[in-house]
Amino acid sequence: MDSEQLAGPVRLAVIEDHPVTVDGIRLWLSQDPGRRVELVASGPTIESVLAGPGADADVFLLDLELNGVMVVDRVADLCADGRRVIVFSGHRDPDTVLAVLDAGAAAFIAKHESADHCVETIVAVATDRPYVTPTMAHALIADARPQRPQLSEREHRALLLWFQSMSKASVARRMGISEATVRQYIDRARVKYAKIGRPAPSKAALLARAIEDGLIRPDEVRTYRSFAADPAEPPADSPS
Amino acid sequence: MASVTDDPAIIVARRYARGATVAAVVVAAGWHLGHDLPVTLTAWDAYRLPWLAAAAWLGHLLVGVAAAIALLRSERPLRGVWAYGAAALAVVVAMLAACPPDRVIGPANWGWGAVGWLAVILFWHRRHHLRELCLFLAADAAIVLAGMLAAGATDRVSLARYLMVLVGSLTLQIGGSVGGHALDTAARWAADASARRAETEAARRSSELVHEDRLRRYEAVRQAAADLLAEIAAGADPADERLRRDCAVGAARLRRLMAETDDEPGPLLRVLRAHVVDAERRRVLVTMEPPVGTVPDLPSGVAEALAEAPARALRAARSEARVTVYATPGEVIVSVVADAEDEEQDAGREDREAVPAARRDANGTNGDGDASWPGGGVVVTKEREGRSLWIQSSWPAR
Repeated sequence: MDSEQLAGPVRLAVIEDHPVTVDGIRLWLSQDPGRRVELVASGPTIESVLAGPGADADVFLLDLELNGVMVVDRVADLCADGRRVIVFSGHRDPDTVLAVLDAGAAAFIAKHESADHCVETIVAVATDRPYVTPTMAHALIADARPQRPQLSEREHRALLLWFQSMSKASVARRMGISEATVRQYIDRARVKYAKIGRPAPSKAALLARAIEDGLIRPDEVRTYRSFAADPAEPPADSPS
Repeated sequence: MASVTDDPAIIVARRYARGATVAAVVVAAGWHLGHDLPVTLTAWDAYRLPWLAAAAWLGHLLVGVAAAIALLRSERPLRGVWAYGAAALAVVVAMLAACPPDRVIGPANWGWGAVGWLAVILFWHRRHHLRELCLFLAADAAIVLAGMLAAGATDRVSLARYLMVLVGSLTLQIGGSVGGHALDTAARWAADASARRAETEAARRSSELVHEDRLRRYEAVRQAAADLLAEIAAGADPADERLRRDCAVGAARLRRLMAETDDEPGPLLRVLRAHVVDAERRRVLVTMEPPVGTVPDLPSGVAEALAEAPARALRAARSEARVTVYATPGEVIVSVVADAEDEEQDAGREDREAVPAARRDANGTNGDGDASWPGGGVVVTKEREGRSLWIQSSWPAR
């Protein structure tokens, strides 16, 4: 899925042990006017999905708790072969969200926000583009780890308002900038997270696409500095 | 929790410690006034240099007063304490010089016996007080021995007197100092033990509160789930819109209760949660996100001011609301997004006086944000988008 535009519907595999949730996801997909996503496989375990037609799906939607067991430690393995993994879970505390992003998950959707963000997240992730759900914004602004990337003040503010408000349009009005610029700030913050933690193909793809799209400059990929090392503000971002 | 220093046991212990220092000063003063002064006066005519004896008595008094003030007024010894020690030894030399050779070791030479008491109070608060006291007394004894040799008072009777006075005063002075410090140490042990007991007691009280709070939360979780489950078990129809709504509200409540991991939430979260519970009772589906960061100690009234506008939004919510709290040590932002009625209409139904005009959004019906400044440095901004109302109150104003 390297083309700029989607050639056909995104092929989605769902790893979820509750059939009722899979039905719910199917409903959301059917409600998308463009029918941009097609469910090709679903199963209650990672193995069952990888063994069937879901093996070469474009995007995997993974429930973090399968049959009562948390599978946080499986995310890295799943991502290692270049699979695009979106985690969705009720366990949405910032530590868990940051752990799965660190392991290479492309996005995190909390179960209670799935209806609003599910299809959009899947479509964005299928083209290696960032998508930040309010739960992810929550985790990014709550991140107090020393290795956290340095966000500009505007990136931080956009994330905070996105976490607290109802829409990017309202964030744009509050910040007095365009909605596209709000999206840019939020996406830049997300892409900065692809630069930290263990390397993963999904992170490399996200960074490559961000450079291609002009979201960040190639030299910014290397110039990661921690807050502890340099508390100074980065140069102001230029709104588009 | 009461301050540790208010503990009666510690106050008593401190009084014991002070009592020991007061006793040392009283002994030194009593000896100088009750013994040295009468001896100086009665032996006045016998002194070789009576005015030198008087000056020595006065010098002794001055060193004693300085040492006593330092001891009783502060926890630290005099600066340059050995200069005062040297002055005390000068008193010994002066008294040796003032006495005729045959009285060098007699009662008229009170100096070398008395200065030991000065040394006791001079060195009291020194870290190595006993070592320094012994050093001083050794110097004192050496000076007197030298004086005796110079005066030729080396007969057996003089030496016997010397040893007798030496042993007697050493015993009393060293014994007094050691005893006083032992009392001080014992008092400190008692104070430490008492402080530890107070800490243990405070920890016990705190864990009791935590436990009670957990019981309360557990009870709330149980209530949220049990009634609904009982209803479903009794055959309620899952297609019933009311039941489904109740389940959704119950699930949101369970999520919120499970996310409440802080055992002492602080006034802001307590007030907000109370309003969330009220909204849940009205069957509003409330999502309360765990707070980002730790809410700092807020100046009086700020927590209430911060919660006021979000509380109004929760009261106005028709079916859904989302509450978020963001806090850094210098900033707190509370936000509510709700499908709420317009505040203007709402104010007609709610208590109008609780919504002063200055705080109301003059332009609440369109999308433009508007800020207003109520008391306590809290800023409230408001945004409307379709049916959604977004209220954000932040402190401090910026």
